[in-house]
Amino acid sequence: MSGNRVGIIGIGQSEFRSRRDDASYPDLVREGVIRAMEDAKLDFDAIQAVVYSLSPDAMVGIGNAERLGVDAVGGRNKPFLRINNGGATGISSAVAAYYHVASGMFDVVLTAGADKIGECGDSQTVLNKIWDPSYERPLPLGTINMLAMSAVRYMDRYGMTEEDMARVTVKNRHHASLNPKAHLRKPVTIEDVMASRLISWPIKLLDCCPQSSGGAALVLASERFIKDNHLDAVWITGVGHSAETYWMGDRMGNNPTAEHADAYALGRSFEKSYRMAGITDPMRQVQVAELYAPFSNTEYHSIDAARLSPKPVETIQRMRDGEYQIGGRIPINPSGGTLCTNAIAVTAMARVAEVALQVWGRAGDHQVKGARLGVASGNGGDHQIFGTMVIEA
Amino acid sequence: MGLRNQPGIIGCSIRPVITSRDRSLEEVIYDTGQLALKDAGLGIEDIDGIVVAANDQFDGRSISVMMASGPTGGVDRDIMSTPSASEHAFILGALRVATGQFRTQLVVSWSPTEVSSMAEAQRLGADPYFHRALPLDELSAHALQASAIEQALPDARVAAENVTKKNRDQGRLAWPDAPARPAAGPMRWPVTPAMTSAPVMGAVAMVLAAPDFIAERGLRDVAWIDGMGWATEPSFLGDRDLATAPALAAAAGQAYAAAGITDPVTAFDLAEITDATPYAELLAYEALSLCPRDQWAARSADGSFARGGKLPVNLSGGVLTWNPVFCTGMIRIAEVANQIRGRAGRHQVPNARRGLAQAGSGFAMQYQSAIVLSKAARTKGAQVEGAQVEGTRP
Amino acid sequence: MELLERQETWSITYNHALGETASWFYAKIRDEGAIYGKRCAKSGRVLVPPRSFSDETLQPTTDWVKVGPGGRIEAFTIVYEKFNNLPDPPYAFGYVLLDGADTALGGYFKGVDLADPAAAAARLKVGTRVVATFAPQRKGEMLDFWYELA
Repeated sequence: MSGNRVGIIGIGQSEFRSRRDDASYPDLVREGVIRAMEDAKLDFDAIQAVVYSLSPDAMVGIGNAERLGVDAVGGRNKPFLRINNGGATGISSAVAAYYHVASGMFDVVLTAGADKIGECGDSQTVLNKIWDPSYERPLPLGTINMLAMSAVRYMDRYGMTEEDMARVTVKNRHHASLNPKAHLRKPVTIEDVMASRLISWPIKLLDCCPQSSGGAALVLASERFIKDNHLDAVWITGVGHSAETYWMGDRMGNNPTAEHADAYALGRSFEKSYRMAGITDPMRQVQVAELYAPFSNTEYHSIDAARLSPKPVETIQRMRDGEYQIGGRIPINPSGGTLCTNAIAVTAMARVAEVALQVWGRAGDHQVKGARLGVASGNGGDHQIFGTMVIEA
Repeated sequence: MGLRNQPGIIGCSIRPVITSRDRSLEEVIYDTGQLALKDAGLGIEDIDGIVVAANDQFDGRSISVMMASGPTGGVDRDIMSTPSASEHAFILGALRVATGQFRTQLVVSWSPTEVSSMAEAQRLGADPYFHRALPLDELSAHALQASAIEQALPDARVAAENVTKKNRDQGRLAWPDAPARPAAGPMRWPVTPAMTSAPVMGAVAMVLAAPDFIAERGLRDVAWIDGMGWATEPSFLGDRDLATAPALAAAAGQAYAAAGITDPVTAFDLAEITDATPYAELLAYEALSLCPRDQWAARSADGSFARGGKLPVNLSGGVLTWNPVFCTGMIRIAEVANQIRGRAGRHQVPNARRGLAQAGSGFAMQYQSAIVLSKAARTKGAQVEGAQVEGTRP
Repeated sequence: MELLERQETWSITYNHALGETASWFYAKIRDEGAIYGKRCAKSGRVLVPPRSFSDETLQPTTDWVKVGPGGRIEAFTIVYEKFNNLPDPPYAFGYVLLDGADTALGGYFKGVDLADPAAAAARLKVGTRVVATFAPQRKGEMLDFWYELA
């Protein structure tokens, strides 16, 4: 695809916090946008199209809240559309922006969004209504309970312990302490996690992501535009999406295609992205990864799906050996990841932003030394729809 | 810039009204997708990717794409959703084919009537900061726009009545067995109940394909995408001149430039316009450069835009005949595609070579899109170079 | 400066069509206290709860198959946190592969002491045999039955 590549030329993120009572929802969107535009050193006139990143409307409490964000992204009289792939929305929006440029129709495209989860008093109620009203919604399902059941199956199949889960939190909190944009930045110990209150067995409070408020934005451009204007960029060399069954019970029982302990479709999505980027040996070629994992246990099967470990039991061992922390063999979530910051509409966009910063060498105190190739992922729905991306310097 | 690969529409399934309750929404989506695949002569194994669009507040689901993934073939496939508008799913599907990274796309949208009050669901779309306290649903927003138009052009009302009659007459020809549609609700001045149509459940799906796939399979009856444009009005109604449609003018500019259209008045054999009210159709005539506002009354009276006229608009009967609210935009595109493909049924126009679809949605048509479809594919050279998108270049 | 808040509540009612397949399933639960799945002829798999088509093969399912009431636990969690609009904790629920089915059906686990989380988790571990138990008065809904240790 030489000459037809798509690059990231601007990145903007808020400092994510519990509440942002000083800013309305569109104000937060604007915050990410302004930072990305400054980073790209472009005027709004240069933006030819906008992809708006927003997951459930009910989380911000505004129906089709993207309509309210049109002005914040400078979308007036420009091509504008919104993506919602649940928690994957942020990376799906970046991929949609990539398609806008790769289609040949646009040179410069902005993708942006924000969330104010801290203002939603009933996030697990909203998330219960992602399930179908006929069969699964009458159960007390929520995203925490759903992934607690994934943990139960991962423990049963591969021997993960509650301490192994805690180890992920300890690693990511350490990473977040180095990242001023992260929401939960206080380092914790395994004992702290184990002593935190039980939410849904085996998930404890410190195994959970926070509810964050903040915005994020990316500016993507064609290789031609980047070269003509002598801009600096990192390159999107692989993209993909894949989905698995909506029905939780179909991921269990007799020989399910998508096992609920694992992240089958995430693996399929990574296969696509790797094939497109020409990556044949991820364990050797990938130098940094930002994998969407809102609960400590889900980082394990995300690493498996990204093929950054030979097999699940090895993943658990390598986590114990510190191979996934900054300074280790393949640092995972050096930003602190979703576990430390979750503003759902842009969480997966932050994964893309953070990998871009890493391969650009601009990640500051949480920089992975010498990283030139990284991968990002996002998970949406009831652990159902997954998006992935490969980014290279 | 033009699209790298020109996408073609090779299958359509239009279900503007579904009355039976024997199928759940998920099953209706399954049926609709399967019908489009059948129309294209393909199986799900031929589909590389899916884009769907629905409104979570109409559906009563927090993330509608989840429920729709299974029935559209999303399991083990690349699926995305554009809940901003049904037409946006079509546009993203077309962009994906244009990249050359996908051979095919299935695009699907739907609009149920299972919510107790659609107006109440729409009111949640008013921001809580300044507008939620107002009785602002889509019909009220259409009425505000109609009122602004009447203020600017006193004889717009006569033209609106003419458009209403035209679309209802054409709807009766297209759907002879359908009962007369009840109004969407009580009068919202100046939009009379007769100028609206009550929401119904509907669904629509299309199959898009790349030129090499179409050639390889020897597919005929293709509606090629000659030009696409889409644009958005600002967030607050108070920031807009509601008597104009600048976003649609911008969208039309993009689409016409890509299609190489310089004289829209003579360029098309037919058009489908989102006539949520007749005022919306009139405003679209102007923004699409089909008819300036000072000629609305005369041209709507002389049958220029009626069946047999110079440019028949809404031969399907339009939204005034069937109003599956959220997916009316994608239905307009599918109607034009079927006309180009010679599969429009009773309301087929003879020898349709090029058509125009306009999709509008949101409060007073905040989202605007224009799609040009042709029977003839672009020549190879034009496909590589394409037309320049005016007004959006840096 | 003074920062103001506005409280807004969403309250909308929906009447979702269940369609023929789910309607038949719930009528059997209500009238017979029995659980049925539907077989996908192409894959041979019995889908429980019944779907009118398989999301893997995209083929319509064909024959009804009575399943259970015995089965094995496939997944569980025990909830100790109060969530708005969900039951008061603690409660246990999860998924069970009923005898004769190929996919798992969700439900509450009842009759297990949840006071000690580790002990309760051990009693509910994956693979444990359970039996679907029906309420004497049934409305034709998912909560008409639950699972008890066999």
